[in-house]
Amino acid sequence: MMFNSEMLTHKLLREYIEDLVANDQRIDSRGFDEMRPIEVLNGTFTKAEGEAWIKLGKTQVLVGVKADIGEPFPDTPDKGVLVSNTELLPVASPTFEPGPPNENAIEIARVVDRAIRSADAIGLSSLVIEEGKLVYMLFLDMYVLDHDGNLEDALTIASLIALGRTEVPKVILKEDGEIEVKEEKWKVDLRDMPINFTFVKINGKLLLDPILEEENVAEASITLAIDKDRRVCSIQKKHGHFTMEEIINAAGIARDKWPEVAEMIKEVI
Amino acid sequence: MGRWEAKLRLSEGTLLVKNREVVVPGQALAKGKFKPGKDVYVDNSGVLRAKKLGLADIKDNTISVVPLSGVYIPKEGDIVIGIISKISGSTIIVDIRSPYQGAIPIPRGRAVERVDMSKYDLHLGDVILAKVKTFDGSSSLLLTIDMEGLGKLEGGFILEVEPAKVPRVIGKRQSMLSILREKTKSEIIVGNNGRIWVRSPSLKELLALKKALRKIETESHVSGLSDRISSFLSEELSD
Amino acid sequence: MPLYVEKKPDVLITEDGVRTDGRLPHEIRPIRMTVGILDKADGSAFIEWGGNRILTAVFGPREVHPKHLALPDKALIRTRYNMAPFSTPERKRPGPDRRSVELSKVIREAIKPAIFVENYPGSVIDIFVEVLRSDAGTRVAGVNAASLALANAGIAMRGLVAACAVGRVENFIICDPNHDEDMWGDADMPMAMLMESEKITLLQTDGPMTDEQFKEALEMGRRCIRFLYEMQKEALKRPYLIVERSVFEQGEV
Repeated sequence: MMFNSEMLTHKLLREYIEDLVANDQRIDSRGFDEMRPIEVLNGTFTKAEGEAWIKLGKTQVLVGVKADIGEPFPDTPDKGVLVSNTELLPVASPTFEPGPPNENAIEIARVVDRAIRSADAIGLSSLVIEEGKLVYMLFLDMYVLDHDGNLEDALTIASLIALGRTEVPKVILKEDGEIEVKEEKWKVDLRDMPINFTFVKINGKLLLDPILEEENVAEASITLAIDKDRRVCSIQKKHGHFTMEEIINAAGIARDKWPEVAEMIKEVI
Repeated sequence: MGRWEAKLRLSEGTLLVKNREVVVPGQALAKGKFKPGKDVYVDNSGVLRAKKLGLADIKDNTISVVPLSGVYIPKEGDIVIGIISKISGSTIIVDIRSPYQGAIPIPRGRAVERVDMSKYDLHLGDVILAKVKTFDGSSSLLLTIDMEGLGKLEGGFILEVEPAKVPRVIGKRQSMLSILREKTKSEIIVGNNGRIWVRSPSLKELLALKKALRKIETESHVSGLSDRISSFLSEELSD
Repeated sequence: MPLYVEKKPDVLITEDGVRTDGRLPHEIRPIRMTVGILDKADGSAFIEWGGNRILTAVFGPREVHPKHLALPDKALIRTRYNMAPFSTPERKRPGPDRRSVELSKVIREAIKPAIFVENYPGSVIDIFVEVLRSDAGTRVAGVNAASLALANAGIAMRGLVAACAVGRVENFIICDPNHDEDMWGDADMPMAMLMESEKITLLQTDGPMTDEQFKEALEMGRRCIRFLYEMQKEALKRPYLIVERSVFEQGEV
């Protein structure tokens, strides 16, 4: 396996970051509940029906939504299909290796997917063309291009923007079973804005939007999604452990942070 | 063209770039009398060409390229900052941010009497200052800590710069390093491998130093660097 | 079930040599090259060429894992050409297929002669070519970008490798085939050269050409490659010139 900062977190980094946190400071001088600046790149980068390339600090991700049509799953004839996939591209970090998605990539994909699904952000029933017969299938492909921590939040934000921008040709299922693809477009209706917020615990304190160095020395990490009604709609505790108070505290911070991020997403869609 | 004319033209030589010009790999630098220095090769027709993206450096008849980027390739005698990555039996393995890992044999037998064995009380993740003892160019890289000032580094923080920029961080007769030390009131040790150990009075100085190092990296090819860094740090740390 | 059906254009090229995108046979699509856009990679480059968007990154020379792959006297060069699921009109299943395995090799063979592999014995240089958006000519775009990423990573090279495709549509030899010409043209010939000696390091041909057409195509390829090479040099030097200018301007204030 490759030598890397993730495996090889040297003691001085750990000690220094812990000392800073003890003095209410962070290595990049941010506040504990301050997110890094988010930048949405202009341009066309994919052949997707909706896309977003964003930077969260030095983390860069590109999300594309491809559409297709097909039969619904037998147990959900009244819902369209959303398939989420995350690729930790080897260009993004010396620690990422080429190959099929590993445990981490799959976890991240599911964390983003769960937030979107639990809030029914895209309205899966609106993807139905003909109940039980024909539905839109949306493929949410999440590409990590440069890894400087907190991939979950970056990918969630980019996914919401990409979904909100998604336009697909209108499709009609005729009575004779023929499928007609129209010139006219149908736009995905982003009816909720479930945003993930990731925290790490260092020295018993919670830090929002960790950079890679903080992730590498963290005792524990957790990701919570907040919906438009400011409810917690999904949670993923990752490594380590938290007290109940810490989790309630994290949810509170996430709730407070939701409006500014949601506003930004709405603006760029 | 007679033989003499040809010889004359060859001895004159033609320079194809200016001193300190940014050159790309393969770019023709000179023909004729010039000698290839570091990171320059001579092609089949006798033209001197750059091997790397860098600055052309013309001294007398020698042309070199000062690279603008690249990983650290060890040299005997270099001082490096390493991280203990593995301890296996009688050898300590050290990551020095290079394609090659360093090895420090743990003294045994009678050698134990000649060295300070407390220095060898090292653990995974410890940061050390070491010297490149021998390097065969491919696989065997021996480091030593058996010298005054070498060994485990306690406290402080590690910053990183492009290894190619280390000479600029140090400066002529340590001029840049003196500026960095004075302005940031920090203890600073620069490893040839681009790792820099720093102990600053507070985060403010550390962050100012970090920014100054970025500035050295991005502006190293523009003259007047020391003055710019000096006034930059004064400004950053004014209040 | 495809949402998008492709149709062959009625006319691929007019009698006057006007192509489906309005270009003349010798014209190249717009190109933009940018280096150093990734933080964690040792070297990186992004190329926008017509509708192509390709990101390349270089890591190394670094330690080889697993160790037994290491070569005692030179660096191992690995390349991966990978197409994003959203790079094509119809979603492409993630993971390697036969085409991308071949292209990974072809790109490696195009780039390798440029690298002083003997300078880095026992190490590996990894080159990743990620196609984010594909629009005909991804392999040659990838070669140009990979070469830039290597230079950006500070790796010792004999020179840059520049690449361009040429082709034949009916009786016209055309440069830089577009999607239509790639799909329905008569011949396609990607090529790359190690500059400045102009040695050919990549050459593939798919489709028949007469001796005369073949020579014309090679010559057109060389002209295009020279143009690409000028763009590469400019892209590598640009960041340094920008910094130089901004320092100079600040000094004047």
